[in-house]
Amino acid sequence: MNTYQVSSLLRFDLREAFNSPLWIGYSWIYFLFQFFVYGSIMSTLVITVHDYFFYYGTGLVVLSTFNIASWSGRRFVESAHEGRLRYILSLPIGRDEFFIEQLVLGVIVNLVRTLPPVLIVLFMSGLFSLANFLFTLLVLTLLAIGIMGLMVSLSVIAFKSFDIYSAIVAALSALLIRFSTISYPISSMNEIYAKATLSNPIAYGADLLRRAIGLDTSLLLSPSLSASVLVALAVGTLFLGIFFTGRFVEGVRSS
Amino acid sequence: MSQLAAMLKVARVDLSYFFRTKWLILTLVTLNLSDMFVVGLIYTNMMSFNYFVFFVPGVIIAGMFAAALDVGRRVHLGLSEGVTQYYLSLPLSLNGLAFAHILSAGLGGLIFSSILLLVALSFVHGLFSLSTLIMIPFMFFISMGLGGIAAVINLFSGGGDRFWAFAEGVQMALLGMSTVFYPLTAVKSIMPAFAVTAITFNPLSQIADALRLAIASASLSPYALLSISVTSLLMLVIGFFCYRHVFSKVRLLGKV
Repeated sequence: MNTYQVSSLLRFDLREAFNSPLWIGYSWIYFLFQFFVYGSIMSTLVITVHDYFFYYGTGLVVLSTFNIASWSGRRFVESAHEGRLRYILSLPIGRDEFFIEQLVLGVIVNLVRTLPPVLIVLFMSGLFSLANFLFTLLVLTLLAIGIMGLMVSLSVIAFKSFDIYSAIVAALSALLIRFSTISYPISSMNEIYAKATLSNPIAYGADLLRRAIGLDTSLLLSPSLSASVLVALAVGTLFLGIFFTGRFVEGVRSS
Repeated sequence: MSQLAAMLKVARVDLSYFFRTKWLILTLVTLNLSDMFVVGLIYTNMMSFNYFVFFVPGVIIAGMFAAALDVGRRVHLGLSEGVTQYYLSLPLSLNGLAFAHILSAGLGGLIFSSILLLVALSFVHGLFSLSTLIMIPFMFFISMGLGGIAAVINLFSGGGDRFWAFAEGVQMALLGMSTVFYPLTAVKSIMPAFAVTAITFNPLSQIADALRLAIASASLSPYALLSISVTSLLMLVIGFFCYRHVFSKVRLLGKV
C-alpha cells in the first residue's frame, strides 16, 4: 500500500469533511434536542422500560453513527456523479487503497462527530469509565465500518441510476432504523417484527453498546451473538466493498 | 393570459416538480408508513394507552408538513438554477409568483397527506367519518401556511448550503415542539409553562389535535377550526411577503 498517497488523499478529504461547521453543529443540536426534548417526554409515557431516557439516548448515539456512515456512502456516490471519482481513479492509487481511505475517513468523521453525544450520555447516566468509553468507541467503529461498507457496495446501483440508488438507500435506511432496537427493545415487538429485527445488525450494535456501558440488561440481545454479528458485518462488508470498488467503479459517468 | 391563469400555470409546474422526483415521494411514503405501522404499533406495547391511534394522525400531519415545506427546496433550487429569474421574465406579477408557490405548497401538502390518510383509513377501521372529510380543506389551508414557513427559511437562510441546515432545524423544532408525537399532558409534566404555551399554539399541534378529535369521536371543535384558520392565514401572509421580498430582490439584483 502506498501510505504517503493514501494519507495525502485522506488529509484532503478530512479538510473537506470538516469544512462545514454548520452541519456538524446541526447534528449536535439535533442530538441534544432529540435527547432532552423527545427522549424526556417519551420517557414519561413508556412504562415497560426502566429508565427509557438513557435507553433512548444510547439508541440516538447509534442512530448518529448510522447517519454519518450513510453520509460516507452517499458522498462516495456524489463524488462519482460530480466527476471527482474519475479524477481520483486517474491518480497512482489502487482501487482497494482508495476504498480503505474512504473507510478510514468515515471512521474518523464518525468518531469526531459522535464524541460529544457519547460523552453526554455516559456522564449523564453516571456510567462513565475509561473502559466503558473505549468499548463504546469500539462498538460504534465496528458498526460504522459495517454500514459504510454496505452503502459503498450499494453505490454500484447508483452508477446505473442515481434515483434508484436514492430510493433503495432511503427505504433500506428507514427499515433498518425502524426494525431495530434503537428506540425500543425487542421484547416490545410482535413476533413478525422481532424476527425482522433479529436479522438487522443495527439491533445487535445498539444492544451491545447498552450492555457494554451497563444499562438495564434484562431487555437486551445476547452479547456474544451481538459481538459476532457486528464483527461479521464489518469484515463482510469490508471485503464486499473492496470487491465492488475494484470492479465496478471504472467508466462511471458524471452527470 | 390573465394573471390568475399564469399563476395557476406556475403553481402546476411547481407542484409537478414535487411529484416528478419519484425517489423523494417514495422516501416520504416509506418513512411515514413505516412510522405508522412499525413505530406506532411497537410503542403501543410500551405505553398504558393506545399510542397507535394517537400516532396515526400525527404521522399524517408530519407527512403533510414535510410535503408543504418541500416548496422551499424547489424555490431554493429555482433561485440557484435560474428558474425564478425565468419566471420573473414572464408576464406574471411578483404577487402572482409568490402566491403560486404558496398555493403549490398547499396542494403538495394536501395531496401527500390525503395519500397517508387514505392508507390509514383502509387499514384502521372506523376512522372514516364526515368530520374527517371536513378536515381536508383545513389541511389544505394549513399546508399553505406551512409553505409560508418555507418562505421565511428562504429569506433568512440567504441561499447556499445554509438553506438545508435551516430547513432541517426548523422542521425538527416545529415537529418536536408540538403534540404530533406526544400528548399535551406528557409535555406539561416536564416542560416549563412558556414552552407548553408555544406547543399549544404550534399550528402542527392544532391540526393534529383537531384531526385526532375528528377521527376518535367523529366531531369537530369550531374553536379549533377557527384557531387553525387564523394561524394559517397569519403564516400565509408572512410567507407571501417573504417570497415577495426575495423575488423583488432577485428582479433587482439578478440573485438573492
